[in-house]
Amino acid sequence: MEPVLRLQDVSKAFPGVQALRGVQFDVRAGEVHALLGENGAGKSTLIKIVSGVYRPDSGSIVLDGQPVQLHSPHEAQRAGIATIYQELLLFPELTVAENIFMGHAPRRAWGGIDWRAAATGARQILASLDIHDLDVEAPVGALSVGNRQRVEIAKALSQKARILIMDEPTAALTQADVERLFAIVRRLRERGVGVVYISHRMAEVFALADRVTVLRDGAYVGTRDAAQTGEGELITMMVGRTIDQLFPKSDVPIGMPVLEVEDLSLAGVLDGVSLTVRAGEIVGLAGLVGSGRSELAQTIFGIAPATSGTIRVAGELVRIDSAATATRLGIAYVPEDRATQGLIRPMRIRENLSLAVLGELARRWFVDRAAEMRLAEDAIRRFSIRAPGPEQIVGKLSGGNQQKVVLGKWLATKPRVLIMDEPTRGIDVGAKAEIHRLMTELAGQGLAILMISSELPEVLGMSDRVLVMREGRLVAELPRADATQEAVASAMMRTAKAA
Amino acid sequence: MATADPRAAMPGRLHGLMLRHEMVLAAILVAALFVLSLQTDRFLTTDNLLNQGRLMAEIGLIALPMTYIIITAGIDLSVGSIMGLCAIMLGYGWKNLGLPLELSIALSLLIGTIAGAVNGWFITRVRVPPLIMTLATLALYRGLAEGISQARSVRGYPDWFFVLGQGELLGVPTQLWLLLVATVVAAVVLARTSFGRMLYAIGSNETAARFSGLPVDRCKIAIYALSGFTAGLAAWIFVSRVSTTRSDMGTGVELDVIAAVVLGGTSIFGGTGTILGTALGVVLVQLLKNGLALTGVKGDATIVVIGSVLILSILVSNWLRARRGVD
Repeated sequence: MEPVLRLQDVSKAFPGVQALRGVQFDVRAGEVHALLGENGAGKSTLIKIVSGVYRPDSGSIVLDGQPVQLHSPHEAQRAGIATIYQELLLFPELTVAENIFMGHAPRRAWGGIDWRAAATGARQILASLDIHDLDVEAPVGALSVGNRQRVEIAKALSQKARILIMDEPTAALTQADVERLFAIVRRLRERGVGVVYISHRMAEVFALADRVTVLRDGAYVGTRDAAQTGEGELITMMVGRTIDQLFPKSDVPIGMPVLEVEDLSLAGVLDGVSLTVRAGEIVGLAGLVGSGRSELAQTIFGIAPATSGTIRVAGELVRIDSAATATRLGIAYVPEDRATQGLIRPMRIRENLSLAVLGELARRWFVDRAAEMRLAEDAIRRFSIRAPGPEQIVGKLSGGNQQKVVLGKWLATKPRVLIMDEPTRGIDVGAKAEIHRLMTELAGQGLAILMISSELPEVLGMSDRVLVMREGRLVAELPRADATQEAVASAMMRTAKAA
Repeated sequence: MATADPRAAMPGRLHGLMLRHEMVLAAILVAALFVLSLQTDRFLTTDNLLNQGRLMAEIGLIALPMTYIIITAGIDLSVGSIMGLCAIMLGYGWKNLGLPLELSIALSLLIGTIAGAVNGWFITRVRVPPLIMTLATLALYRGLAEGISQARSVRGYPDWFFVLGQGELLGVPTQLWLLLVATVVAAVVLARTSFGRMLYAIGSNETAARFSGLPVDRCKIAIYALSGFTAGLAAWIFVSRVSTTRSDMGTGVELDVIAAVVLGGTSIFGGTGTILGTALGVVLVQLLKNGLALTGVKGDATIVVIGSVLILSILVSNWLRARRGVD
């Protein structure tokens, strides 16, 4: 079958990086084509070329058998290529119908916008996607993330999209929303839309995709039929090496309690949380988004000090009123949001790595440049951060390498307790395995680790003990042996289902 | 591809982006010196330049902590009013309260520091945006100054008091020495100390700075207090230079200071800037004002030229940056 869209031998360079090197890619009508690769492999550049944001340095784009030039996102849209980015680009103050028809609303004879036709049209499009529970007059800002995404899909269809690109569509969705999204994507496929699907989650790729294309370091590795490949092969293609074991958790002797939290409350957010983390232990903290997991971490770390309850570090009662105090007590927090909480992206690797130890690194008041340089070079070597050197601007690194910088920054404080909030979110398989290996190694050295994660396989694979939070409380504590996917998931969602 | 922010330059590296801006400024400065010296032979003389140094000291001093504040993505509009308040308190404490003049000077410096710390406290603890907070105290401190002075000026200071504002040391105006030392210290602190590093970190990403355990609030209160103290110091120099105290002293100073800092390449969005740039900005503004006045250009036209230079310098350095492909 002749593909709708074909990219041939496409290359693109940015100052200092060759983002794509002779890549080929095609999309057929009525298929889901998954695009896989580690962060920095060139996926984003590729979809930006397809959606008209970038122009390739060389190579051709062939649409319906005709070579085309896409000079702008607008031209790509007119050619029937719609893109749904990770950050949804909707107007929160406008209604669902207004958003769907933004820029191409139905007109009346005298040129005014026909709002009634727009509302009807919006309802029809949503109905064609089997979405009947969305009020087209509601402002988009009031909708859940899942619903907003459906609005984006409807908007793409209203523009008669024949190719729909979805960049990590499930990153912020709940399980129920993910299933609805899958149903919608399958419906689009039946209607003959070609879907380009980017995701880090292997299970999704195998649930949806007809074909899979893998990129590595800006180069094309290969395309496989989803039915005729397996997770192992794809991971090998992505990282260029075999990963025998995704979660290399080994047993280490568990020591004395290092972090003891008792009856911790934060008005309206946390309700009497008690937990203990021991030396050498990795405690997994599961729960839905909004269940208070990150808030618990930030309360322990002093960002939002507790309103009541006690915290002990290594047996000693402490009062933590700021992140500075927590750091001094040997608590480190690798936050959920790398870009805004974890890193200062315009600054250099060296400057980011020394940020939490500036005081210790200083001689009198002066930053000891030599010591700082040693710290940075050690960290780059120890965590195999892929960068030209310590002077590299952190914002230019890939997600996995950025996460390693955050981790390196906190390990430089020589913590006793390490709290990791979504330690591997949005990073590629290779970096993920490296971070997991590092966690095991650190636990082996006697560090107490509290790991928050939305990925159940990660929680189950890495934890000695699993705690589950729901609505600001701890609702379950399961030892490794009893922590099954079903047991944890049902503890996470019990009342959510009843409600 | 991750997008990188070009506002990443840090001092101390010759390849840094901002040094490009400073080179542009230095070039403009040399060109201005050259052109102005052709227009009039009274401009490029030692006497005139030293005298301009004397006039520049107050703006130059206040511009140093202002650079710190703008690097943290803040702003301090109240410096002119603090200067007025401190000038009044200096005269009032001596004349009306009968304090020894030395003590009155110390008191006025203390009041300046407190006035700045109040700004910092509200900005960090009550989370009032710096622009709003210092706009409010711009009015408030000026009002206090006027209320206390009751429109009376204070004169008749003893001779020793004029050394700072009108005296000389080794042939150079006293306050110029002070400005030189303060500038060097401020530059070293910003470029080399962990305090300076914190300022850049706060300005680039305050949340991440907080999450890294840096004492963000203390740091901010400190720089606003320093700004108040420096405004007090400028008030002392100013009173000593003009021999009298009036409540409208320092009116509009904030605009000159901010213009000089921004001209010096400090981004109003925070995260970048150097003391060298600010120093060049201060000198350039002062020499343009003076040179144009000497060549017979009227006051209004001078302001137009300064505005144009400000825009020009920003355009040129943006163009340089784009050409190097940083964006």
